[in-house]
Amino acid sequence: MKYIPTVGIECHVQLSTKTKLFSEVDNDARGKEPNSCVSPVDYALPGMLPRLNGEAIKYAIRAGRAMNCTINNHSRFDRKHYFYPDSPKGYQITQFYEPIIGAGYVELPSGTKIRIEHAHLEGDAAKLTHFDDYSLVDLNRVDTPLIEIVSMPDIHTARDAYDYCKELWRLMTFANVSYGDLYNGNMRFDVNISLAPEGSKKLGTRAEIKNLNSFRAVERVIEYEVSRQTKILEKGEKVVQETRGWNDATGKTTGQRSKEEAKDYRYMPEPDIPPINLTDEFIEAELAKLPLMPTDYRQLFSKSIKEDIIEVLLDYPQLMQKLAEMAGVLPDISRLGPRPSGPSTGGRPRPKGRSPRADGANSRAAALRNAPSRELSATPAVNLIANLFTSVLLAEEKSAEYLNDLPTTKDLTELAEMNEKKELSSTATKEVFLGLFDPQMKNRGTRTIAKELGLIQENDLGALEKIVDAVLAKPETKKAQKDFKAGQEKVIGFLVGQVMKESKGKANPSSVQEILRKKLS
Amino acid sequence: MKIKREDILHLSELSNFTLSESEIESLSGNLSDIIKYISQLDELDVEGIPPTYQVFEMENVWRDDEILEQDASRDELLALTKESRDNQIKVPKVL
Amino acid sequence: MKIANSKVTAERLVRDALEKAEHFSDYHIFNYLNKDGAIARAREIDAKIKRGEKVGRLAGVPYALKDNFLSPEGGTTASAHILEEFTSPITATSIAKLEAEGAIMIGRTNLDAFAHGSSTENSYFGPTLNAFDKTRVAGGSSGGSAVAVALDIVEFATGTDTGGSIRQPASFNGIYGLKPTYGCISRYGVVAMASSTDCIGFFTKTPDDMDLLMSIASGQDPKDLTTLPDYYNNDDSNNLDTKSDDSRLDNASNSLSETVSREGYDPSEVSEARDDGPERTRSKIKNCRIGLVKDFDNESVDSEIREALKAKAELLKSKGHEIIELDMPSLKYALAAYYIIVPAEVASNLSRYDGVRYGFRSKNSKDLDALYGNTRSEGFMAENKRRIMTGNFVLSSGFYDAYFLKAAKARTLIVKEYEKAFSKCDFILSPVSPNPAFKLGEKVSDPVAMYLEDMMSVSLNLAGVPGLTIPAGKNKAGLPLGLQLVGPRRSDKKLIEFSKELQENDQ
Repeated sequence: MKYIPTVGIECHVQLSTKTKLFSEVDNDARGKEPNSCVSPVDYALPGMLPRLNGEAIKYAIRAGRAMNCTINNHSRFDRKHYFYPDSPKGYQITQFYEPIIGAGYVELPSGTKIRIEHAHLEGDAAKLTHFDDYSLVDLNRVDTPLIEIVSMPDIHTARDAYDYCKELWRLMTFANVSYGDLYNGNMRFDVNISLAPEGSKKLGTRAEIKNLNSFRAVERVIEYEVSRQTKILEKGEKVVQETRGWNDATGKTTGQRSKEEAKDYRYMPEPDIPPINLTDEFIEAELAKLPLMPTDYRQLFSKSIKEDIIEVLLDYPQLMQKLAEMAGVLPDISRLGPRPSGPSTGGRPRPKGRSPRADGANSRAAALRNAPSRELSATPAVNLIANLFTSVLLAEEKSAEYLNDLPTTKDLTELAEMNEKKELSSTATKEVFLGLFDPQMKNRGTRTIAKELGLIQENDLGALEKIVDAVLAKPETKKAQKDFKAGQEKVIGFLVGQVMKESKGKANPSSVQEILRKKLS
Repeated sequence: MKIKREDILHLSELSNFTLSESEIESLSGNLSDIIKYISQLDELDVEGIPPTYQVFEMENVWRDDEILEQDASRDELLALTKESRDNQIKVPKVL
Repeated sequence: MKIANSKVTAERLVRDALEKAEHFSDYHIFNYLNKDGAIARAREIDAKIKRGEKVGRLAGVPYALKDNFLSPEGGTTASAHILEEFTSPITATSIAKLEAEGAIMIGRTNLDAFAHGSSTENSYFGPTLNAFDKTRVAGGSSGGSAVAVALDIVEFATGTDTGGSIRQPASFNGIYGLKPTYGCISRYGVVAMASSTDCIGFFTKTPDDMDLLMSIASGQDPKDLTTLPDYYNNDDSNNLDTKSDDSRLDNASNSLSETVSREGYDPSEVSEARDDGPERTRSKIKNCRIGLVKDFDNESVDSEIREALKAKAELLKSKGHEIIELDMPSLKYALAAYYIIVPAEVASNLSRYDGVRYGFRSKNSKDLDALYGNTRSEGFMAENKRRIMTGNFVLSSGFYDAYFLKAAKARTLIVKEYEKAFSKCDFILSPVSPNPAFKLGEKVSDPVAMYLEDMMSVSLNLAGVPGLTIPAGKNKAGLPLGLQLVGPRRSDKKLIEFSKELQENDQ
């Protein structure tokens, strides 16, 4: 019998607000000492009360819309009770009864739509480090704002799960609500998987695997669980409902002794935080700041850039934005400071402060107003730079730092023009492109760099003719001239080569050939 | 409703108490009385009445996203715990 | 109240208070006496006065602090073993405001552990005795604070009122006790009992002192999202007539001139100070409509208290006020709703006391489960455990809708009941508790009997409306009787002003 897997995913996204959800302490504890980003509120002293960060509400609105979700005008907070040293208050402040983000969907590159059940705001938990006979508690991460995104059971393959998680990552980074630094746990995935016989209405017993922090891990977990559960079912045995742990090294999941079934969180409305009642005006004002989303870029560049290249570039919001600037749908803000980096980035320092992408001037709304149509006509310049980004920039081992300090739109546009005008050969274009990142040269402008590298091609026909004549006057070319006139096409290559040599490589080969053909006809 | 021994044990687990036999005994009696009393509400008809969780007329009370000096430092806070190590709170092993 | 000035030093006021505190030590009022700290602060203030610098409105005024307010002076124990070893690095907003005006804390007062109780018998440090009869309870949970004021040890004391914890001990000890409108005074830095009903308030000997303290302590606090913008000092709708602003000025000048005329401590003067309060400022409030709650006029309430209530009603009539009767049937369910909602919030708010980050940690904690279980079992009193377990019962899956949610709906009915009542009258006058101070040990072993003490006080907390306990003479046994004056939300100032109408011929 054939079994169909059904997968549900809960994704926790850490928001990139300056301060925590309920206190005015630094929300970015990376590289800081344990418990150095902790207020008396986070420490849960007696008599401490939560102080809600209004920015987190605004982030939630943007994140919700990025997933095509409804934003609820009315929402509030609840308490989820459990005892563990990662929860100083003895409860987590979350949104159980009335979350701020309602139903929506995420569209995968394949076109498949995964429905979102809802998403809610909540505080993160502390970090515990376990030793043989004791554990240490670091409260730096306590009440970092999180959005928990709950999917509907619409995922049936490991591949879709991978694409879904990756698309969520893109949406959150493009919407500029998270640094999206997976290595540091900015996004964590809880996956539940069950198998049911093909055609059966009801779902099978599910296993849950918590706290996965890479798309690949999600994919592998599902592949492993599908085969594990299939074996069990084929033996006619039952799958146990349990939480299982993932071992990335062995590529296996193992059952964990857990009190899950005994858990009773006793959710209760949070009495220390007044309810949230947002007007449509307030919500719209925030949505006006939403930047261009991946789907927008796919549409805008469908005629200019090949699909597979777009998909690669969509892992780097700042590159996509640069191309949009070149296409004239976004203002050139390349000097307004760094942006979040790609998904595979390790412990690289995060950009500080708010990215300009959320400031409205270059918002989605504004950009789409600038765009002549949702599908821009083919623009070779954009196509050329897109190719340079993927084939050259991302291949560089320094690409990581390059990504945080891209050349100006003006320089890139000029580079594309010089290539167009044949002033630069394709090899020369690559060299000048890299020059635009070179600390020594970068700020001198494209043309100066090309000159200094001596890469500008000789296109002056008058000058070229003189060189050609000189070459044709040379006795060693006489035979070739005769053969060509006699119809031996390929000798033209020899003659072009001679001219190129004479011009020390500066000549533009195609123009040379043109002139030769004129003279020898 | 009558509170049974296993109910008390369940509630003490939710409350994170380790109760002595005599406590279990007396608490069973107390909680039975208390729950009997609060069950008076059964006779009250609240059909269609919305719940009230807060008696406070304000909404959307929140702060700006700016880092501020806090009322107590890390050292003042960690000084309150019985055991700490490397600026972290030390707890016995988790079974 | 007596304020330090060029004639009477703060140090004198503070030393007198400390002497009296020690003189009355057998009442077990204080968990901690702030001797050196208080005298040091007094000297600072006296130095300022000598230099002719400006001093606050409470310069050198000794006060008693209920031991569930956080401040670095003395440990904040909440009279519970689990916090016995806790000293706060931070100061409660309300305390910071009082001390900025020069008030001096001379001691931390006893309470039922975590304010769970109506007699101050549930204290880890033992009960506080009634100011008028040592064989009887002080009332609770703010028993220590009430007795400290009743015995004239201090000019005023702080309290917290979650279901009657200020009003009932005030009535048991014959003084004024105010539970303000919910959200009037910041809860920041006060050990939380039930977040949606907790109120910070005061015990005083006169309405004018209460008004002064309220004008200082009230107001919005960014550290407590449930505080209201300062209406107490700003909102004109508080004042029943335009002249009341002048009367406020009169009060201030009067209390100052009073202190000038006094030299240090003399008990007769203090009792005089209490009685001549009304003479200083006659209320200008006329023709109010006062409601009496029919549903409280029955055998469940002590007959002498009902007589005192009728006497006060007559007094008001004689002053041209109108008395009407109110039907408030849903108040019958207030106590049941209260003992569902409050234990739920108690169970939640007391989850943080686990021995991990501060306070008591059980010696017997070889692993984490033992640390939690033993610390909480050894650290909490029996009544704490009852309320935590009741709270976890009404919140637990399968019971939430039948208990917690239903109580929250009942609460809506109670809120509406008060709105309806205040559409018919300006204030409500009712008993605070069904009886005067009862015997020590009389109810401590019977939780429900103890809960019934709160029968007439808890509905105010559920509705968030203010209530002021006023002295109403004594019964034949010589025990003080008290009544509560109740007003609509934000009517605190009017309430205090109107209470003067009930004072005259109160000797």
